Amino acid sequence: MFSTSTQLKYWIFSGTTEINQLRSEINSKFISGQLAQHMGDKKPDSFLTVEEETKIRRHYEYVLKEFCTKFQPPMPRYVLGTAMAYVKRFYLRNSVMDFHPKDVIYTCVYLACKVEEFNISIVQFVSNIKNDAKTATDLILSQELLMMHQLNYHLTVHNPYRPLEGLFIDIKTRCPEISDPESLRPAADEFLDKSLHTDVCMIFAPSQILRSILILIKPYMNGHHRTHYAANKLLATGGKEHLMKTIEHVKRIKYMVKNTEMLDRDEVKQIENKLELCRNQENNPNSEKYRQKQEELLEEEEDRRLKKCSKMAEEELNARRQLIGL
Amino acid sequence: MDDQFCPRCKTTKYRNPSLKLMVNICGHALCDNCVELLFVRGSGACPQCNVPLRRSNFRLQLFEDSFVEKEVDIRKKVLKDFNKKEDDFASLKEYNDYLEMVETIIFNLTNGIEVEETKLQIDQYRKENQDLIKKNRSKLSKDEQYLEMLIDLEQQEHDHYYKTLLNEELEAKKAKVKNKEALINELMFSDLPAEHILASHKREMAEEEAVKKAKPPSAFSTGIKIGKQNIFEPVKKPTDGKLYVYSEPTMEWLGPEPPEEDQLQDFGYLSHIRATTEQEKGGGFDSIISCQRALQDAFCGLYFSSLSLDSVTNKSRHNMDVS
Repeated sequence: MFSTSTQLKYWIFSGTTEINQLRSEINSKFISGQLAQHMGDKKPDSFLTVEEETKIRRHYEYVLKEFCTKFQPPMPRYVLGTAMAYVKRFYLRNSVMDFHPKDVIYTCVYLACKVEEFNISIVQFVSNIKNDAKTATDLILSQELLMMHQLNYHLTVHNPYRPLEGLFIDIKTRCPEISDPESLRPAADEFLDKSLHTDVCMIFAPSQILRSILILIKPYMNGHHRTHYAANKLLATGGKEHLMKTIEHVKRIKYMVKNTEMLDRDEVKQIENKLELCRNQENNPNSEKYRQKQEELLEEEEDRRLKKCSKMAEEELNARRQLIGL
Repeated sequence: MDDQFCPRCKTTKYRNPSLKLMVNICGHALCDNCVELLFVRGSGACPQCNVPLRRSNFRLQLFEDSFVEKEVDIRKKVLKDFNKKEDDFASLKEYNDYLEMVETIIFNLTNGIEVEETKLQIDQYRKENQDLIKKNRSKLSKDEQYLEMLIDLEQQEHDHYYKTLLNEELEAKKAKVKNKEALINELMFSDLPAEHILASHKREMAEEEAVKKAKPPSAFSTGIKIGKQNIFEPVKKPTDGKLYVYSEPTMEWLGPEPPEEDQLQDFGYLSHIRATTEQEKGGGFDSIISCQRALQDAFCGLYFSSLSLDSVTNKSRHNMDVS
């Protein structure tokens, strides 16, 4: 249930202001960290601004959606929803410049497949990615644990898709006045799809997001039925106060979803070029630095293993000596 | 036990259930048939290690691992000479050192480490401590003394028990004879009617019996005291502590109450969801479950307002996130 979930406890914020504030904090933190590291090599204005970060993140959210819709075998919608939520949560704690979204989105989808029990092997998964299979596999698997850590292991995401089915059942049962509820479905799906690209899932409950379709799809049913349903039936238990509040929430959601700006392709390209220059090279799989770091990690592990081996051998020898009594 | 087999004739326990494996001082096993064959003349060499053996030294293998047998053999032999007692040492540490040395010698001999040197050490020790060894051979160790004492005590108790039993029997016989005489005398000399006398006599006998029986035996025939030791009683169960009381879990919906399970059928919710197929029913699935779940999800959190979240907890939450 959403009411007892970690989603409510840790990943719901009071509004866009708070979310934007968090994002700008992360942005400035990354920039100051990089400046301290590269003493004067880089200028502060060579980094992305918060707005640019948002744009690039949104661009890759579209890429992710494209990837999921074309995915073979076709994946259920809630995997996409979960993956999208992961991307949003991940970039609340990390800067786009730190981890390039073109790598992160695949990891998110892979993790979402697992969490939502859409059973798929990594080989099958990687065959959907255009890049070289081996590097993609390495990247996804190496990032997976980091991703889970960054998400604080709050992996369950409550999507509005199951509630949608519940709402349809409810409409059909309690509002027989509405003649053909199934005709609402395409519009509802479209609305939920659009809402994926906004921050509504970090501000509202899934059932609230879903309720907004009732107001949205005005042309599909006459006004009388709509208010009738929403007011008297659905919210009858809560009283007038709750009704007003819910309508307010729904209006906010509608506003947020409707007012998403379209992205300018050229601008995105420009930002991407800029990002290529200022991103954290330690996390760039094509860079020399990344390779060095991986090698270091590998060596460290090897060292540790060797040490462990030699220690064990020594202990065994000692034990044997003691046994013999030397 | 499957791998118990004679290394010479390859007979296994499976093929010959009456197979008996014997070992000698070298620690190598042989079945009794092979022993009879090889040691017709009373002595010969071990077929595995060529150590000269005597037939009389063969004995039944007790342990599955013949190495253990060898060790036991060697231990017996070594301890024959190294028989110092704790009293022969000034301090406990010296005694422990001595025990340590004995163990080392036994280990060396069984594992074939520095055999010659160890044998020399034993010889030297034997020469040095000739008198003490002889003296100690006749002496018993503390443990043995304790064991003997225990056996003595048991024997005494046993004898005592039988004596009392015999005495009781004798006395009972005497009492019976006495009673009979008394009865006859009374019948002869008393003026009371015979039936009356017989009845009163019977009553007296019964009373006597009752007195005897009232004295319960204080111990079992094995010597264990009755009632005093309750080692065989089960552990008492703790009776205090509160019993678990089931309380129904409460759900916080943050929204309107979703319909209950029995309402789903009554209000016709179920007619708007795909019916369960026979196969699904067989697997334990019911459309009520999915229907209820969907409705619960649709209602849950509807009244939720992110603005009502406590700003203080919000702050701490973010700190946690970032860390």
